[in-house]
Amino acid sequence: MAHRFLLIIALGISLNAFGQREEVFQKSKKWYLPDHMKLQFAGGVGFLSGGPGYSSRNKTLETDILFGFLPQKFGGDALVTITGKTTYSPWRIPVRNEHYIVPASIGFYLSYTFGPQFDSKWPSYYPKGYYWWATSFRPGAYIGGKVGKNFIYKERKRGIEAYYELGTYDLLLVSYAQNRGYLHLRDIVNLAIGIKYGF
Amino acid sequence: MLAGVAIFCSSCDSLILYNPNEVIFDKDERNLNAKNIERIQQIPITDTLQFILMGDTQRWYDESADFVKSANNQKDVAFVIHAGDISDFGIGQELKWVNDIMKKLKYPYVTVIGNHDIVANGPANYRKMYGPMNYSFEYGNNKFVFINTNSREYAFDGSVPDIAWLKSQLADNPSNKNIIVIGHVPPYDGDFDKNLEKDFADLLGSNPNVNMSLYGHKHSFNDGEFYNDGVHYFVTTNVGARGYMMVKVWKGGYKVDRIEF
Repeated sequence: MAHRFLLIIALGISLNAFGQREEVFQKSKKWYLPDHMKLQFAGGVGFLSGGPGYSSRNKTLETDILFGFLPQKFGGDALVTITGKTTYSPWRIPVRNEHYIVPASIGFYLSYTFGPQFDSKWPSYYPKGYYWWATSFRPGAYIGGKVGKNFIYKERKRGIEAYYELGTYDLLLVSYAQNRGYLHLRDIVNLAIGIKYGF
Repeated sequence: MLAGVAIFCSSCDSLILYNPNEVIFDKDERNLNAKNIERIQQIPITDTLQFILMGDTQRWYDESADFVKSANNQKDVAFVIHAGDISDFGIGQELKWVNDIMKKLKYPYVTVIGNHDIVANGPANYRKMYGPMNYSFEYGNNKFVFINTNSREYAFDGSVPDIAWLKSQLADNPSNKNIIVIGHVPPYDGDFDKNLEKDFADLLGSNPNVNMSLYGHKHSFNDGEFYNDGVHYFVTTNVGARGYMMVKVWKGGYKVDRIEF
């Protein structure tokens, strides 16, 4: 399953080898319209998740909202998750033909998973502080990197990127911190891969 | 890059997480209580049965690994009973870690569900990995009855513990075997449904085949005949406190020792 998804991403990148024209005047778009869309596989926020995002002018900071879904078939339970995430990528290394590499990204997210079995505020039949965490909200953090390519399409400068993220979330991090003998970093890390299309 | 990810991903299974609350278990991580009962029932029966009562492994993986070492150095242990709170957050990954540790025991282990195992998708995880929350099995002259006693997780709605089920389990004992009831929350604890405490204790106390009952949850050793009815309640400490109980049972008697590791 994962491999098939990788193939789709690879195809997506190679298909975008068009639109090699001189740069044209970039029409300004409405400020509230998103700058890009992302589609992500795994990463703890759904089997697939996707949604709009905004980039800072210098492109180092991205903020996204991802709507994620995990079908019962793959997850044992059908889960819908909304995630807000912010990624900081300080460096961009141009390669050739408008290709570039972003060697390092760092980011964090907060996800919310829907379901009557998940609590944001524990019901009143629990004494205060009985459980200290919320089960609906999950904060997490990740590091990663990406490769991208700029191109012109319909008189607008656009871009496509493929990214990966290695991340973990609060509950596993706490478990790791307290069990440095048994648990290793690899035990708490998970991989997300995705594509970003910049309008 | 694709090749890089593919190589990196050669053991992708554990690297891919769809949601912390996903309920995904490998084939050898399913229905473990039934599988381990099968193993237990193949152990030759002796006059004296010896087993270990431990519990509350929740987020104490280092100590759980040490427990396994200590338990494996004991002699003549038939099996291990985990008194619940296997996980801390009700997350499948935690159950898998604990099972990976407990798999290194020289003995089969069986579990009873704890309140932490009922959080979030915990019940679905527990059912998939261990099986039903209420179950029983017989071995030699003993019948072991495992029951969900985590009333608070059900808002004290009167459904937990399932008194009717317990009653039928205690009644279904044609050869008068010694019955040992095992739960996570002991009946005299605040997390046990006050409205069911008397029914529960009376069921045990009025049955001549029930002499002892075993629990966890309290994170310290504790025992006593709390209802003056001939039933002795034993609570093991948590694995985090580096302790467990060694239980010996024979016809007409029993002995429980507190062990620290």
